[in-house]
Amino acid sequence: MASLLSVEEVAASFGKLRALDGVTLSVEEESVTLLIGPNGSGKTTLVNVITGFQKPDGGHIYYGGKEITRWSPQRVYRAGIARTFQVPSLFSKLTTIQNLLVADKAHPGESFLKSHLRRLWVKHEKERVEKASKILQTLGLTEQSDKPASVLSGGQMKLTELGRALMSDAKLYLLDEPISGVNPTLALEIFARIVSLRKQFGVTFFIIEHRLDIALRYVDYVNVMASGKLVAAGTPTQIVSDPKVIEAYLAR
Amino acid sequence: MTLDQVILFTVDLLALFSIYLIINLGLNLQQGVTGIPNFGLVLAVAGGAYITASLSTRLAIYLLNVHTNLDPIVNNVSVLQLVNPILRSSPSLSIGLLALFLVIGGASGALMGLVSSAPAVRLREDYLAITLLAFGEILNVVGTGYDPLIGGPPGTSLPDIFGWAGQYRFYWATLIMLLVAVMIFVYMERLVRTPFGRVLKAIRDNENTARSLGKDITRYRMSAILIGSILCGIAGALWALYSGAVTPSYDRFDYTFLPWLMILLGGMGSNIGTAVGTLVFVTLDELIDYFKYSFAPFLPFNVVWLNYLLLGLLTIIILIYRPEGIIREKWASVPAAPPPSPTGEAKPG
Repeated sequence: MASLLSVEEVAASFGKLRALDGVTLSVEEESVTLLIGPNGSGKTTLVNVITGFQKPDGGHIYYGGKEITRWSPQRVYRAGIARTFQVPSLFSKLTTIQNLLVADKAHPGESFLKSHLRRLWVKHEKERVEKASKILQTLGLTEQSDKPASVLSGGQMKLTELGRALMSDAKLYLLDEPISGVNPTLALEIFARIVSLRKQFGVTFFIIEHRLDIALRYVDYVNVMASGKLVAAGTPTQIVSDPKVIEAYLAR
Repeated sequence: MTLDQVILFTVDLLALFSIYLIINLGLNLQQGVTGIPNFGLVLAVAGGAYITASLSTRLAIYLLNVHTNLDPIVNNVSVLQLVNPILRSSPSLSIGLLALFLVIGGASGALMGLVSSAPAVRLREDYLAITLLAFGEILNVVGTGYDPLIGGPPGTSLPDIFGWAGQYRFYWATLIMLLVAVMIFVYMERLVRTPFGRVLKAIRDNENTARSLGKDITRYRMSAILIGSILCGIAGALWALYSGAVTPSYDRFDYTFLPWLMILLGGMGSNIGTAVGTLVFVTLDELIDYFKYSFAPFLPFNVVWLNYLLLGLLTIIILIYRPEGIIREKWASVPAAPPPSPTGEAKPG
């Protein structure tokens, strides 16, 4: 398998703090790859740098063979990389289904001029509503569909975020703690769903997650970060027995 | 009040309501729907009024083939004595001219919107508000100092495009303004329900996330400012045509702060709320105006301040007891949504 995303020697800092200190890793196409590490090890920063929310100090990022370093978030999204946020960041006054519908790379009705002619976009809208309803159903959110996002519980918000990412037709999904605050049954279900999506659509997932008990069962590869560096990478079995990983978690 | 007085009072009120409804719908799109705190509304309103006033007499001479060597601004009154009789005799010509002036008003508003939005769309809320507040002051300075615009401090008159209605001038003018306002209301109500409107709301709720979903924030905010400014420009032109004259005195109290109060009162983000807030506010304001002199003997201050005091009090009361306004944004009007279920209860579909 070829690598879909590769990060080479990426560095980033907040003032004097080196958040990323020359990180090199790659994500195989059609894999479910996990990124773990203690709090503050730079996982979210890495996702921010990849998706253009933070500018790196150095290094290169390649996606599908093309360099995407320093691209704007919009451009990264349009290139086929969708992300979720660690803290759910929904559109609080939009309903759950509307939150999903906003995730659209080319909705003719989102243009001011075209929005005036319903027939230019009503068919597209219908298809998207259908797709969104299906996703909501899978995530157990059908009842929440028409409620404003602000009344959802923390777990439901995380699920809505995931659903919104799934709406994007992206090739690569960067999920920042998709199951934190989600009950164990549903968390297992989400990971099972991720694996089946990967097979069904040939998409790739790069996931930050702390709940290894659940995540490790489903992923193909694991990358371990500590203090802004990649300290280990391999299959789940290799990782759990790697002394460096245990040290990374305990040394702090 | 006698019946005549009641009718006059109502017509007056509806005229004011129409103008403010148009402005407030523009503000609601910017602040309520898109989250752009436009504290410079007066710029677009005054732009629409001044530029339309400035061009109206000139255009009327040209389009009605009036031959005169008089300057349309300096000798404004004499020139209009030539123009107004022609307009009075032809309602259709007058209405045509009205339509043209409204287009000019809208275009002037758009121009002002463009001027203020260029730097503004790149700033975040508080900076944006201050910048736009400052922008709002520009036109009065120009209007006062540069006579060819609207004749300096004394101002200028506009062709009377409602003259054909004779003694019913104000009734007809009000009706037409109300009609324009209602059409704009329907248009805005449709616009916010399109996917375009949905993106505007998404940007308001969470700018960064909208960006992460590939939305061009700058372009959307620019569109909202432009549409809002066009509405303000139309309102400015209408008000100038209705009053028949303008002076460089469109101030930020009337055309920035009052609209803000009205959308606060009605409920931001909702067009219906905007309409209700506008109606309630304008009615209160007019009632206070009408009755305030009866209170004069009992008040330790000049009654001219009564409006400010009472409306200020009203604002404080709204902010304390009902910060979301009379009408909430539409989702919340769904009756008694059950409290969100705790995470543990969410069942996979």
